[in-house]
Amino acid sequence: MSETTSKSNASADEPTPSAPAPSDCCSPAGDAAVSDKLAMVSGSVLLRVWLGVRAIQSGIEKFATTAQVDRPQLADGEPTGLSETVTVKAYSLSAYQGIPPAMEDTFADQPLIPAFMLPIYDAVLGPALLILGATVLLGIASRASLFLLGMLYVSLTWGLILLGSAGDAGVAWLGTHIILIVLALQLTRHDPLRVLKKW
Amino acid sequence: MNESQIPSAISRRDFITRSAAAGMVLGAPGILHASSKTPSDTINVALVGFGLQGIVLFEAMRNVPGIRIKAVCDIWDRRRIRGSRRVRGRQGEMPNDYVDIDDMLEKEKSLDAAIVATPDFWHAPHTVKCLEAGLHVYCEKMMAHTIEDARKIVLAAERTGKLCQVGHQRRSNPRYLFTLNHLINNHNICGQITNINGQWNRSLRASQDIGVNPAALPDPEILKRYGYKDGHQFMNWRTYRELSGGPISDLGAHQIDIYNWYLDKLPKRVYASGSNPYFKDREHFDNVMCIFDYDTPQGEVSAFYQVLTTTGAGKGFYETFMGTEGALTISEVASSTAIYRETGEDTEEKWMDLVARGFLKRSSGYGSGSSDEDEEGAVASYASPPPEAYELPGSMPLMPDADGRMIPKPAHTPHLENFFAAIRGQESLNCDARKAFESEAPIFWVNPSARLEEPINFTQEHLSV
Repeated sequence: MSETTSKSNASADEPTPSAPAPSDCCSPAGDAAVSDKLAMVSGSVLLRVWLGVRAIQSGIEKFATTAQVDRPQLADGEPTGLSETVTVKAYSLSAYQGIPPAMEDTFADQPLIPAFMLPIYDAVLGPALLILGATVLLGIASRASLFLLGMLYVSLTWGLILLGSAGDAGVAWLGTHIILIVLALQLTRHDPLRVLKKW
Repeated sequence: MNESQIPSAISRRDFITRSAAAGMVLGAPGILHASSKTPSDTINVALVGFGLQGIVLFEAMRNVPGIRIKAVCDIWDRRRIRGSRRVRGRQGEMPNDYVDIDDMLEKEKSLDAAIVATPDFWHAPHTVKCLEAGLHVYCEKMMAHTIEDARKIVLAAERTGKLCQVGHQRRSNPRYLFTLNHLINNHNICGQITNINGQWNRSLRASQDIGVNPAALPDPEILKRYGYKDGHQFMNWRTYRELSGGPISDLGAHQIDIYNWYLDKLPKRVYASGSNPYFKDREHFDNVMCIFDYDTPQGEVSAFYQVLTTTGAGKGFYETFMGTEGALTISEVASSTAIYRETGEDTEEKWMDLVARGFLKRSSGYGSGSSDEDEEGAVASYASPPPEAYELPGSMPLMPDADGRMIPKPAHTPHLENFFAAIRGQESLNCDARKAFESEAPIFWVNPSARLEEPINFTQEHLSV
């Protein structure tokens, strides 16, 4: 991204908040305006970071698995021959599961979901969360990224609606995400810390 | 094996006469480990008997490294073929399979060890043959269906100098070893052990006869040649007196062995009662209850044991050692294991110290047990306050199953590992033939006591090789 692009972009589509006149710099009104701007910048950055981290970690969790391992038990510092079994979490590419295994069969039974779509969606979901999470976090084409992330959540919402009452809580939870995305879209123009401000 | 070698039960008079002579060899050194194999050598193994217990043992040794199943022997082609395929699944090559053990021993010259999991009445003939052929032997318990045959195994092991491990697998179980070595011996956690209580209650459903499909059975001629009068006897040999010691031998032997092992003492007397309330046509008792009396350096110990095949109620199987300071319930089922501190004794500081040092864990149910407190909060004068519950600090280590998932080691695996490590000279056997005989000898006298309806006071003749 070029500096020129960034600057021209900022001047073209982002109305500058009313800057205090030099003479107002130390007036109460000027102070309030600076505080307002700082709050808007902080809020927009916070929301962008939250949504980005949320999506990235959700994507990473698609690669998570658990394994049982032995933890040898000691008594007086010496091995007892006994072990405590602990469950540890690990990540690997081979552990990837886009759609949780427990829900896979349920979705497969849904007549409104084409059978060929399910494996595609399963393969795309994790990488999509990672990529969109990264672009939102870094502020790369924030509006487009937020919109696509919102559409991804809409698709997840649709799947949960098909589950009936069992998916209601998830639908409400994703609805909250959509509200946050809409808010983030509104605040984008106040966020100067984006890598690519276009789109 | 020819017909003349089919083992038979002996009379008590015969036994006493013969055992006097057998007792002359007392003191022969126990063979506990061999070193003809280096740790990296592959041990070639023959599986003799591939029925249910043979499968259990095979699965338990599936992931033990350095083992190659070279031969499989079973008189039933169905078991032999299925067993061979299982072996191929493990090691990628079919073992050689044999109907007859003599044929196998004659042709297989590279064998190092044999796992004997045939019916009890074949244990001694098969084990002795393998020992005499120069193989180390892991023989399922009971060693034999008669004490005379059990003696033959001890004598053969000591004569040939080969290892003979008997399948009392609890003796290699890390929880049993930890409990004995650390809690009982080192820390005297029970105080003076005064009583033992143990049981194996098995449901009626699990105790039914095994169904027979005559078309699937071995040829009647083969059955006769190997000591079975018909298919029912072949499938249900455990219910016949001439082939098995019955439930007290099948199930009770595991646990009564723990009594003798933990006390490091043999009982002085047994009195038993048996009954057939349900399986009225069976030769063996359905249910047996018995009491062993011990004289230990700490004092007298009374040990009750019951084996019931008519109910699975009462928490299955376990052994409880009760002492003046604590009681310890242990079982092959880890969740049935629990340790209780007697309240009212000045032991709290000692037990808390053991917790701090890692020898015990407070039970998650600590303090939530039922109470005998009355409405005023006072302990009724006739009742005891509830004991505090503790746990062992861990359980059996994990191992990968056939699919690579980590599962607790099967109960028989540590005992087999000990056997193979002993062949390599790395460990001593945890239950060699002599130790096993000493522990099993009192069990042979439970059924006679129940039938005679009188106690049997043990003499050297009853309990020695």
